[in-house]
Amino acid sequence: MLPHDTAPEDGERDEGQRAEGKRALTAHAVDAVTVTETVSLRALSLPARAIIAVAVGALAAFFTWHMAAVFLFVSPSNTVREENFDRIRGYIYPEFEQNWKLFAPNPLQRDEAVHVRAQVTEPDGSLRTTDWINLTATDIDNIRHHLLPSHSAQNLLRRGWDFYDGAHDDEGRPIGERGRLSELYVHRIALQRLQDEHDMDLDTVRRVQLRSAVSRVPAPEWREEEIDTSTYYDEIDWWVVTSDDLEGIAR
Amino acid sequence: MSIPSQRTGNAPAPGASPGAPAPAPSSPFRGLGRSFDAALARGLGHVTRRALGPYQTAIVRIGFAVTVLGFLLHEWPNRHLMYGQDSAWSFDMASRFAENSGAFTLLLWSDSGLWFELVYHLTIAAAVAMLLGWRTRAATMLFMIGVLSVQNRSIFMGDGGDNVIHLMSMYLVLTRCGQVWSLDARRRARRPDLEPTEDRVGIALWAVLGVALLAALVTGSVDSWIWSLFLGGMWLVHGYWWLIRRYAPGEPRVVSDIVANLVHNAALLVIMAEVCVIYATAGWYKIQGSRWQDGTAVYYPMNLDYFNVWPEVSELLSSSGMVIMALSYGTVIVQVAFPFALLNRRAKNILLVLMMGEHIGIALLMGLPFFSLAMIAMDAVFLPTAFLLWMGARATGLRARLTRRRPAPPEAPPAPAPAEQRSPAWAAKG
Repeated sequence: MLPHDTAPEDGERDEGQRAEGKRALTAHAVDAVTVTETVSLRALSLPARAIIAVAVGALAAFFTWHMAAVFLFVSPSNTVREENFDRIRGYIYPEFEQNWKLFAPNPLQRDEAVHVRAQVTEPDGSLRTTDWINLTATDIDNIRHHLLPSHSAQNLLRRGWDFYDGAHDDEGRPIGERGRLSELYVHRIALQRLQDEHDMDLDTVRRVQLRSAVSRVPAPEWREEEIDTSTYYDEIDWWVVTSDDLEGIAR
Repeated sequence: MSIPSQRTGNAPAPGASPGAPAPAPSSPFRGLGRSFDAALARGLGHVTRRALGPYQTAIVRIGFAVTVLGFLLHEWPNRHLMYGQDSAWSFDMASRFAENSGAFTLLLWSDSGLWFELVYHLTIAAAVAMLLGWRTRAATMLFMIGVLSVQNRSIFMGDGGDNVIHLMSMYLVLTRCGQVWSLDARRRARRPDLEPTEDRVGIALWAVLGVALLAALVTGSVDSWIWSLFLGGMWLVHGYWWLIRRYAPGEPRVVSDIVANLVHNAALLVIMAEVCVIYATAGWYKIQGSRWQDGTAVYYPMNLDYFNVWPEVSELLSSSGMVIMALSYGTVIVQVAFPFALLNRRAKNILLVLMMGEHIGIALLMGLPFFSLAMIAMDAVFLPTAFLLWMGARATGLRARLTRRRPAPPEAPPAPAPAEQRSPAWAAKG
């Protein structure tokens, strides 16, 4: 690893460096005016070279480990990954987490909108259920024809709903703590939007219900593909509004 | 090879001519050991003596600083909704989540509104400092802390662009990305013989950050051992650097400089490798998708409600099956080819142009300006030095022209070219 172990090739050096190589033979070769860019490693003392060697070795090892972990984290499931996944996960999460399957293997081909309806108490004490309100439509309004759309329109509800979807099993039951947090999250988003964008007084809201409205993007007109583009709805259970849901968002 | 031709007895097969045996071809492996050793020594010389890619790391620094600065200013009116006290992802929920994930964020230390404003605006300030290259090392550190704080406060707010910013903000901390195009470089060039003791601002900054760090550690705000070690370690290294410059300017200083170069070069390599991982992953997974195979893939995101920003343009593009197919196949080819194109300078530069062009298209068409800006900032690590120098000269010229209009300040000599502008031999090749 140390440079003096390798055969010096005179052709590789210019005169200045060769002169410095000679200087290395004398003691105190590195003085206060020596600039790193021109220093010859051979001019350094043994402890100095040892430190550099250790640094090179440690950095090479860490680089290899880091990139191997990143590679295996983003790779498909394979022999090495399966055997070491706990270790890789432990290293990658939370700060080196990454996902580069950008529109892959296939791009998303369906629009998913989130709708909400609320059961509200009327002034006379009776209960009324509102019509379904399309929350996603507001997002689309705030994105369309905007040069710089905000993450609050692009990602807040969309990714919140993805989170909810991913944290529930096929029967719609929450999976662990993530599942419960995701339920709270999407309902809080819905309540906040009912208040901010649909002028609803949250004190009157007893319960809310969410549903997703999914429709496939029609195939391009130059393709002969029959695609069912009708909208499918998936309702989740009514959600009783508590003070927890309103904390921080109710005016 | 040595079987004589059966058809014409006259034509002697190569190497089988009678009478005069051809000299044995020299082994292609001859001298391999020696040249390998020489290459190793040369390589070691490069990575120890210099922090490579001064212009490339500078442009990456500037690129990400601009991206984050633009993002935070653009979202400034929505900051409470996205990361603050109005967030549907409440402080308590985020705290519960972070307890499991262990993600690092200052914004969950306190739910006070004042604290939120402080962190958000300090992140903006850090981005400005990093952009200008003012106390670059400290600025990159604060930039990373700010980026992680904001993003990890509301992790369901981000997309691929935020992901790139998150990673690069951490990698940049380990680079010497202020060698050129920075206030630091200008200061060093103006006063090359500045004594460490005279650098009052540096000392004050170090002291303030030290107090802040100590407070964070003592109050248990930073409770993960790895973050304590990293933040404390970086702070100590800065103190050590000052001491070395002041008291041990000879060999200890040179060795420390070499180790810092090594860390920089390793981090630069990580950044480059990360770019390759990103494009390779994006490309290879696409190959497996039926829509990328049948050449319609690009049509779909363009026509999704969330990404269809200019329906008129999308409709125009979508009307031609050939255009959509060319874009779809082109995207996959460019992404898959990118890591291999690095082996050839010309191929790399062509692909860089294509990539950046595609990202500009995505920015406009799909409404993802900050995602695209982050990707372009990341790609910039592979830009040729000659191009960066030309761009730098253009920028300087533009500034000179703009400032000439105003009455010239009495004593403001043009900044002398920083010492680092002498580009190293390897970089000249681009």
